[in-house]
Amino acid sequence: MPEAPETLGAHEALLEVKGLSVRYDTAVLLNDVTLRVDAGETVGLVGPNGAGKTTLLRTVAGLVHWEREKKRGTRAGNIVIEGQVVFGGQRIDRLPPHGIARLGLVLVPERRRPFRELSVLDNLRAGAYLVRDPKEVTRALETVYGLFPILRERGGQLSGTLSGGEQQMLAIGRALMTRPRLLCIDEPSTGLSPRVRREVLAKIKDIGRTGITILLVEQDVSLAFALTTRNYILSHSRVVAEGTSEELMADERLRQRYLGVAGTA
Amino acid sequence: MLGNILVNALMNAGVYAMLAVGFSLMFGVARIINLAHTAFYMVAGYCIFYLVSTAGLPLPLAILISIVAVVVLAVVVYRLLIDPMREHETTVLILTIALALVLQEAMLLWFGGYFRSVPAATAGYATILGVRVSFQYLLTLGVLAGALVAVWLVLMKTKLGLAIRATAQDREIAEVMGMDESRTATLTVAIASALAGLAGAIVAPLYILEPRMWLNPLTIVLAIAVLGGLGSLKGSLFGAAIIALAESLVVFLVPQGAFLKGAFSLGIMILVLLIRPEGLFGVAFEEER
Repeated sequence: MPEAPETLGAHEALLEVKGLSVRYDTAVLLNDVTLRVDAGETVGLVGPNGAGKTTLLRTVAGLVHWEREKKRGTRAGNIVIEGQVVFGGQRIDRLPPHGIARLGLVLVPERRRPFRELSVLDNLRAGAYLVRDPKEVTRALETVYGLFPILRERGGQLSGTLSGGEQQMLAIGRALMTRPRLLCIDEPSTGLSPRVRREVLAKIKDIGRTGITILLVEQDVSLAFALTTRNYILSHSRVVAEGTSEELMADERLRQRYLGVAGTA
Repeated sequence: MLGNILVNALMNAGVYAMLAVGFSLMFGVARIINLAHTAFYMVAGYCIFYLVSTAGLPLPLAILISIVAVVVLAVVVYRLLIDPMREHETTVLILTIALALVLQEAMLLWFGGYFRSVPAATAGYATILGVRVSFQYLLTLGVLAGALVAVWLVLMKTKLGLAIRATAQDREIAEVMGMDESRTATLTVAIASALAGLAGAIVAPLYILEPRMWLNPLTIVLAIAVLGGLGSLKGSLFGAAIIALAESLVVFLVPQGAFLKGAFSLGIMILVLLIRPEGLFGVAFEEER
């Protein structure tokens, strides 16, 4: 089980990003980003391509700091991170990704990234790496199978051969095996047909209902807003707006500029 | 004649597989090309020689000590010198080849340039398929096969094995799932060195010890890695078998074949790089896609 301090009450900030800036050499990927996710919420992060949404999730998960530490001294090593990331009251912006996972913050990455040469079951077991008790692992497995029955069916199949939708479910299932407190999901609808998208996002809604806090990055704004309570709009590395789904959709200017050809699904 | 070829090939295949699997693991997981890998194999051989011939220790104990010594040496060198440099791939190549040379010179200093040999553990022969094979040979083959099976079991059935396989494919996401990549890489180096050490210790009675004995196996391991696909364990096993067999055929069938051994494996490497650089089962690292 991830080592976590006592559960926070609702409306207490589980994740706080304060003044986060990330630069790769001269390229500014994030510029003074501040946001928060309260325990139990499903928060959306939307915005045009290249706005920095994926960078934000990667930074929160610890991958950017990790990359910087690895590449120190090389030509590609000029990575600057400023600001703070606080999770459950603890600063995590200098922790390695596995340490952050241990605290209960897990990323479902862009493009899913299953371990292609491993079977579906091995992928799920990999997600349960931090879970010591084998019975707990079995329980987690049953929970995931309950959400995504297809994964039980395809248990022995090589994950690289799954369809896009199945891989997305596997990626989410794998992350759930870590027993997360906060799930950061990066663009789950990419490359999926509209029907599969709706299926996947419905599952994400179910997951949110079990009390797991979710930070959801999504291109498909209408689908995202159906799930989320609050949202942030990111554009050109900055936060340009914050509000509930209704507030943001009601604002004509925002809708046109950032939310694309949004509207009903 | 065929029997001789097979017998010769089988033993070589076993040794090459031990070395190639470790080499592949280190590349696939720790992302390093360790040119000192066969030098560790040599060090284990000399360790056994010293412990058995000079110090007079019983063979099983000597084997154990040799393996431990090699693993400790490899892990210490890895953590201190190689790990900090892992992102500078060229530096790692230079570092490891320098290390191999240092070990060569150390062996030269301590044991002299003479060819050394280690007495066999058992005496006697059996006759299989018309070929006389020593019991030493059979014992060695058995141990090598057992070691490879043990590695397979670790990889497939243990948590560490799962971490190794996951990290080999996508070290970023392995970290995100809570696996300490640095620790996994270090343990992989330990396992790989243990395999090299075991191979060196076990095979010492059958081969000759001399300070440059690491060179030929290194070119062969590189050829196997290229043929099988850098980072692929399946590729290492297949590659080892193919190259061992082909080499045996050359040695026995081609006039003056024994002198062609080194050129042969280098030739295969060049051919593969020209025709199909990713080898038989080449891998791609997910985080670099």
